[in-house]
Amino acid sequence: MVSSNTTAGYGTAHDKAVPKYATGIAKVVNSALYRYTLGAAVESRIGRVLLLAGVPLIWLVMLHVGPIYQMLKISLLSHYPVQPGRESAFTLENYAIFFRESIYFTPLIRSFVFATGATALTLVVVYPVAYYVAKIVRPEGRSKALLLLLVPFWAGELIRTFSVIMLLANRGALNVLLRDIGLIDRPIPMLYTSFSLGFGLVYLICLYMLLPLYSAIEKIPSPLLDAAADLGAGPFTRFRRIVLPLSRDGIVSGCCLVFLTCIGVFATPMLLGGPNTVLFPETISGFFHGASDKWPVGAAFALIMLVTSLVAAAIFMRLVGGRKRRAI
Amino acid sequence: MRTLFSDVPRTTLTAFYWAFILYLLLPLTLMMAMSFKDANFVAFPIGEWTFDWYIKVMQDKQFLEACIYSIMIAAAATLAATTLGVWIAMLIVADGIRGQVVLFALACLPAVVPGMISAISLRIFISTIDLPTGTAAIILGHTVHAVPFVVVMALTRLRSMPGNLVDAARDLGADSIVAFFRVTLPYLKPALVGGMIFCVLLSIDDFVRTFFLGGYRPTLPMLIFAKVQGGMSPEINAMATLVLVVTAAVGLYAEYFTRRARTR
Repeated sequence: MVSSNTTAGYGTAHDKAVPKYATGIAKVVNSALYRYTLGAAVESRIGRVLLLAGVPLIWLVMLHVGPIYQMLKISLLSHYPVQPGRESAFTLENYAIFFRESIYFTPLIRSFVFATGATALTLVVVYPVAYYVAKIVRPEGRSKALLLLLVPFWAGELIRTFSVIMLLANRGALNVLLRDIGLIDRPIPMLYTSFSLGFGLVYLICLYMLLPLYSAIEKIPSPLLDAAADLGAGPFTRFRRIVLPLSRDGIVSGCCLVFLTCIGVFATPMLLGGPNTVLFPETISGFFHGASDKWPVGAAFALIMLVTSLVAAAIFMRLVGGRKRRAI
Repeated sequence: MRTLFSDVPRTTLTAFYWAFILYLLLPLTLMMAMSFKDANFVAFPIGEWTFDWYIKVMQDKQFLEACIYSIMIAAAATLAATTLGVWIAMLIVADGIRGQVVLFALACLPAVVPGMISAISLRIFISTIDLPTGTAAIILGHTVHAVPFVVVMALTRLRSMPGNLVDAARDLGADSIVAFFRVTLPYLKPALVGGMIFCVLLSIDDFVRTFFLGGYRPTLPMLIFAKVQGGMSPEINAMATLVLVVTAAVGLYAEYFTRRARTR
């Protein structure tokens, strides 16, 4: 620590030479209020540590861990909010309900199917785009090419979902176009089906895949590809033997990001899905809103979803990621 | 022959890129075009064009109130998230602190938890601390959501900072607090401005947290959601277009700002 040297050089803290500041900061630093509170605190090691670590640790424990902990606690109670005169006992019943009733676990399976499908589709579609921007566009044009891809990103979840309705509705652009060129007589009902939900999900999340893939592919040295080409490797071999293995980190982080986002999407299934495409978030939300006010069951279901989705992401990381990743 | 052959992937990829751009922009363009339709139902083709919906939206008191409310929440959440994020990042890079990996994992936790679950857990949390749903709860939720992004952005910048800058300030007699405000914070500024704009957009776009934590005053996404469920009308398109244009302009400015800061 540097400060211990400086204070030692000046003897005690209070007869230390006061540094001259050009601005009004001197008024603050030299005021009695500052010297006896913060100024005194930073003179000691304990004071410095408290000042540095106090607020961040309280915040991290209270608000990053706290909500999950409370959710866990409530999921094990028989009643919440606790009414006067009624005991709230410890129970595992809230978890058991999930496995007993198919109306509950079907949406979770559906959520997983949609999220996995959307992730795979996004990977296949976005990979060539990321490769194009990272390797084929000249370096000067790269930021413009990226910027064009980022525009819809600023629209927000709800507006992007809403705009998909414009395309797929019965009197939306696609149906009207198909009718005008004479392919169909009556509109194909595309909205409120699995198709519209899948389309909307991919449209919503494809950009989360782009940036990790782009930064991974950009790091692949181009001479490596040129050397492979000189040695006679065709485009496909170059892709399979060089680009794909070297962009593995980007694939893993992009897929995990997209998968976890997809699992937690709430507004899109409500606007684009139909009665046959109820996803798990909507099921959970039913326990918190409306007539059935069963918070413990909802909390238990949310935890089931959190654990299964994180486990799925971890398994994927282990399978595809292979080697150990950097911690930070 | 060989050059011709090697250009095939290139042209295919170029075409694919532009097809993808078309896919990204088409729904938004349709949404914007529909806001000019001179009829009170949403259907293609557009036929007659008009500006009336925009005039109507600009006079809509509910919409203007939701705008102000959203901006207020975004400002408060951004301020809180930036302060906390920088503080946490300072703790993670401080030397002599153990468990940096754990701290970093904790800081990133809200970014890994799916949005819906995060919203539910916050809803439960505020009820256990007796905080009613409403403005304060929304700001709290948005702050939790934004902190990890600020931490990551601040950490990236802090790692590239020469350590001797702070040492020099300390040798010249500045205490840790002064050194932070006079040396570290100015160094962080470019990363923070980008991060703050990102937080604002994150907060204004957020739907699921507001849905669970909000009271009766709607934010912009809540208002649009309620209107979409209530029935389609080009008025919603005009509203969404206005929001889109403003947020895209802010996002574009953030890109421009961070790019300029990086090249300087």
